[in-house]
Amino acid sequence: MLFLQSLISGLLTGGVYALAGIGMSLVFGVMNVSNFAHGDLMMLGMYMAYFVFTLLHIDPYISLVLVMPAAFVFGYGLEKMFINRVIHHPHQNQILLTIGLGLIMSNTALLAFTSDPRILTTSYSSSSFNILRDVSVSVPLLLSFMITCVITATLYLFLGKSRTGMALRATSQNREAAQLMGINVSRMSAIAFGIGTALAATAGALIAPTYYIHPLAGHSFLLKSFTICVLGGLGSVVGATVGGLIIGVIEAMSSTYISTDWKDVVVFVLFLAVLLFRPQGLFGKKGGQ
Amino acid sequence: MMKQAIIPALLLAVGVLIPLLIGENPYITGILITVLMMATLASAWNILGGYAGQYSFGHAAYFGAGAYTTMIILSVSDTNPLVAMAAGVVVAGLIALVTGAIVFRLRGHYFGLASIAVAEIVRLVVLNLEFTGGAQGILLTDVKFYGLDLNSKNPFYYGMLIALVLTLGITALVRRSRTGYYLQAIREDQDAAASLGINLAYHKNKALLISASLTSVVGSLYAVYIRFIDTHAVLDLRLSIEIILTAIIGGVGTLWGPLFGAMLLVPLAEILRSNVLGEALVTHGMVPESSPVGMFLKEHLAHAHVLVYGIITVLCILYLPKGILGLFRRSGK
Repeated sequence: MLFLQSLISGLLTGGVYALAGIGMSLVFGVMNVSNFAHGDLMMLGMYMAYFVFTLLHIDPYISLVLVMPAAFVFGYGLEKMFINRVIHHPHQNQILLTIGLGLIMSNTALLAFTSDPRILTTSYSSSSFNILRDVSVSVPLLLSFMITCVITATLYLFLGKSRTGMALRATSQNREAAQLMGINVSRMSAIAFGIGTALAATAGALIAPTYYIHPLAGHSFLLKSFTICVLGGLGSVVGATVGGLIIGVIEAMSSTYISTDWKDVVVFVLFLAVLLFRPQGLFGKKGGQ
Repeated sequence: MMKQAIIPALLLAVGVLIPLLIGENPYITGILITVLMMATLASAWNILGGYAGQYSFGHAAYFGAGAYTTMIILSVSDTNPLVAMAAGVVVAGLIALVTGAIVFRLRGHYFGLASIAVAEIVRLVVLNLEFTGGAQGILLTDVKFYGLDLNSKNPFYYGMLIALVLTLGITALVRRSRTGYYLQAIREDQDAAASLGINLAYHKNKALLISASLTSVVGSLYAVYIRFIDTHAVLDLRLSIEIILTAIIGGVGTLWGPLFGAMLLVPLAEILRSNVLGEALVTHGMVPESSPVGMFLKEHLAHAHVLVYGIITVLCILYLPKGILGLFRRSGK
């Protein structure tokens, strides 16, 4: 029973992690940039959901209608103003630029919102129901998971069927060839970063009702998102989805069977093991490293 | 040769004389110790990051290894601090070997990510174990070293100065050695270097070992100087990033760049932290103390130094990717 319980809560949380992972993977695939500000973008999503809830009294799940477009515009602008200037620079410059942007975001949040953690309490925050005798399912986690599924499915359709989606995939496969085919690759980069930001913020908003909201909360999500991307293969959207679920389950299992203190260690050891034995990830193409 | 040695000799003389000139001023000496510390850390990082082009984002692990090993040994026995420091180097070296074995098979994005993961594992393990003091950290009440007065800051000033001279000396030796040229070849083009018969993994590991050992020495010195450490102070990702930032702002891959970076960044951070700027604005009547702006500055400017670090990083990458020393270099290079 304990096993089933951890499996279910792991999968539900993993779904939200997957959303953040997909965002990072998309940015990596299209732009070939590791975005170290990803965790902080997630943190911004948490605060957006919090303020929409406390000031406008809109439910955090419904607030996504506001949070997603706002985050997309923010990410689009961020790419146009900063990231796009280092797209042909060495990796380390891109990493440092995004670290710098992340520091600006988290410390501005620290000044504006102070370091007191905030809690978003909805009427259903701690409600749950039993599916078997001792297996309970948390309502907010289940809702988050279902929303995640809808968003992921929409994203697949968008990437697979729409013209912009195909142009994004083409840019991700071969930037130069895509440019020769008349695709505006710099616009694709901005769109990819916008979507990546929107997904990070959405993940943040979805996790807000079950998590402490804190200016430095992004830190642990950043490393988690990287683990998910590397596990799935940097740049692979399907891989990131599966990677997110795996990380969620592993985290829940190690909390149950080892201890909560060691769950992050388990995740990072897995990360190194993947780098060591299968650097292209579970779904990545060979030679990507 | 003689001409080249004049400026370093002058700098060293200034470095040695400063404590005599300023007398017993713990506040200023404390800032100078931090300048020397960051300069040494950034220089040690520079051997691997600047010359071999391998940007490690996890150097806090080696700093912490030195600090924790030293503190654990000194808190349970009366060992000579130098022996404890050597033990720290051994531990840091072991971590470096394991890290190297994993991360040097990878390139680009993967190397940076893996170095963070290793450092985070070290941090979490130290945080969760018993004998490392966990979240409480380790406090050292008393330490003896050949009858020196360790309540004064001057011995630590000279200790850090020796570490800096050692690190800069090793950097100067390495960059004009065969290994140094190999490292620079690896930085410019790994594949070309490999095709010329350079053993990539061996030379990268060598650079990492030198860099990690020197970083660990500074960690030991810091621990005995402050006499209190916890994971937040010595193993945080923030420290790794501050080290890189210091090197970048001064000039990566140059001998003197990291020192310049530290001379610029540390006083800047101190000005922000001590809120000199906010107080000056208030006392000169530019911002009334009771106004909302004045209140805000008084309350928050002290916490803003990380924000300023972030802004400097972004500006530096966009407009000054070669650092301050890069400005003075011939444009052809």
